[in-house]
Amino acid sequence: MIQLRNIQKSFGNQPVLKGIDLTVKKGEVVSILGPSGSGKTTLLRCINFLERPTEGEVMIDDITVSSQKGSKKEILTLRKKTAMVFQQYNLFRHKTVIENVMEGLIVVQKNSKETARKLAMEVLEKVGLTEKANAYPVQLSGGQQQRVGIARALALNPEVILLDEPTSALDPELVGEVLEVIKRIAEEGITMIIVTHEVSFAKDVSDYIVFMDQGEIVEEGTPTVIFNNPKEERTKRFFKRINREAGILESNLSSVI
Amino acid sequence: MQIDIPFIFMALIEIFKALPLTIIITLVPLIIGFLIGIGITIIRIRKVKGLYSLANFYVSFLRGTPALMHIMLIYLGFPLLIDKLAVTFRWTFQSTSIPILLFVLMALSLTAGAYMSEIIRAGILAVDQGQLEAAESIGMTNFQAMRRIVFPQAIAISLPNLCNIFIGFLHTSSIAFIVSQKELTGATNIVASNNLKFLEAYIAAALIYWGLTIISEKVTALLEKRVTVYNRGGVI
Repeated sequence: MIQLRNIQKSFGNQPVLKGIDLTVKKGEVVSILGPSGSGKTTLLRCINFLERPTEGEVMIDDITVSSQKGSKKEILTLRKKTAMVFQQYNLFRHKTVIENVMEGLIVVQKNSKETARKLAMEVLEKVGLTEKANAYPVQLSGGQQQRVGIARALALNPEVILLDEPTSALDPELVGEVLEVIKRIAEEGITMIIVTHEVSFAKDVSDYIVFMDQGEIVEEGTPTVIFNNPKEERTKRFFKRINREAGILESNLSSVI
Repeated sequence: MQIDIPFIFMALIEIFKALPLTIIITLVPLIIGFLIGIGITIIRIRKVKGLYSLANFYVSFLRGTPALMHIMLIYLGFPLLIDKLAVTFRWTFQSTSIPILLFVLMALSLTAGAYMSEIIRAGILAVDQGQLEAAESIGMTNFQAMRRIVFPQAIAISLPNLCNIFIGFLHTSSIAFIVSQKELTGATNIVASNNLKFLEAYIAAALIYWGLTIISEKVTALLEKRVTVYNRGGVI
């Protein structure tokens, strides 16, 4: 189980997160939605202390790391229980696909090379990239790179995978393959927290939706409640705008066709 | 005056015997300088308290003065310091027992360190921060992430500049002759004055330096292809 308690973060005088409380149960997929600048990504980066919160604490299973007292060692333990998928993939450019996946298995989890290779191959199978195992990141499309990013996270068998806008940097026609992989691993019961702009995907894959705006959680609940019966005015406005944009896109498309 | 062409060949063979010392005066400072450069880079990137301004001063001063000055300052200044210490601590040790080569190597190591730190720093900054975050996000320590992810790429990026420094230091090693080291240039001077054929001797020396430089360039090109193989998808 993952619990965030009163997470606050300021950059200088600028408050970005104003006290976030969130509980994610084991096996749950939680999507964080909200307009840009609402603090979604910062919240995600606070969970593994890539960003040290100004206030509050993060609890994963039996360990609790507090914003101010959290030592390097505690943060390292926390990070060993999590893994992250980045918007810009952030693959290790000087390593092949399989080496990217093996890196954490060998260096962090101290597996032997053979074990790591075997585990990495199994995970690459899941994301459908076994035949690219010996390719370098530069040789892959964005979608393939992101699937390697997912494989790298998945291989470590973490308590939770944090996905930071995993499809935002992709060409539209490559978004599908990545979402499909995420959906498949979600069905395996892996706990995930996803920051995304893909509203319909979030609706499809999530057990729980968190809607954020201006550094606060405005509304949270099951997808059915949030999408069909949002209570807050801000949530309604957000979805209305999203729907309108989708509508414009569709009418543009139909006029082209 | 006539140029004695056969003498050029004779001089070539004679001067060539001094090659090992030139290699030592080139490579030792580069290796030590590389380690100094890494240390200075870490201090400057991490902004280590107390050492940060010292590191900045070191780089600024050493890059701001010719290598010849470094050799002279160490050669003239260091013995003074040693003798002073010897008197204070009642050592029987005397600075005259230190070989001059050691001063040259010290001075040029310091020079190399200053230049290398700039090159390594640029290389490290050129590796995108995201990869460091990715490494840390899977539970690697900052040290592991730097050593395994950032550093190999930083070196690959820096390699052309590091090889330029190698060539630069190959040529800089010639100034060691001023403190009577018998490396290529020192040997040239001896051959020249013993036979009173200065131009011929220096032509021979120039040919040797040129040849060494061409070899270095070829090796560099090969090395560069090898370490940046990931940018071309494994094709060497």
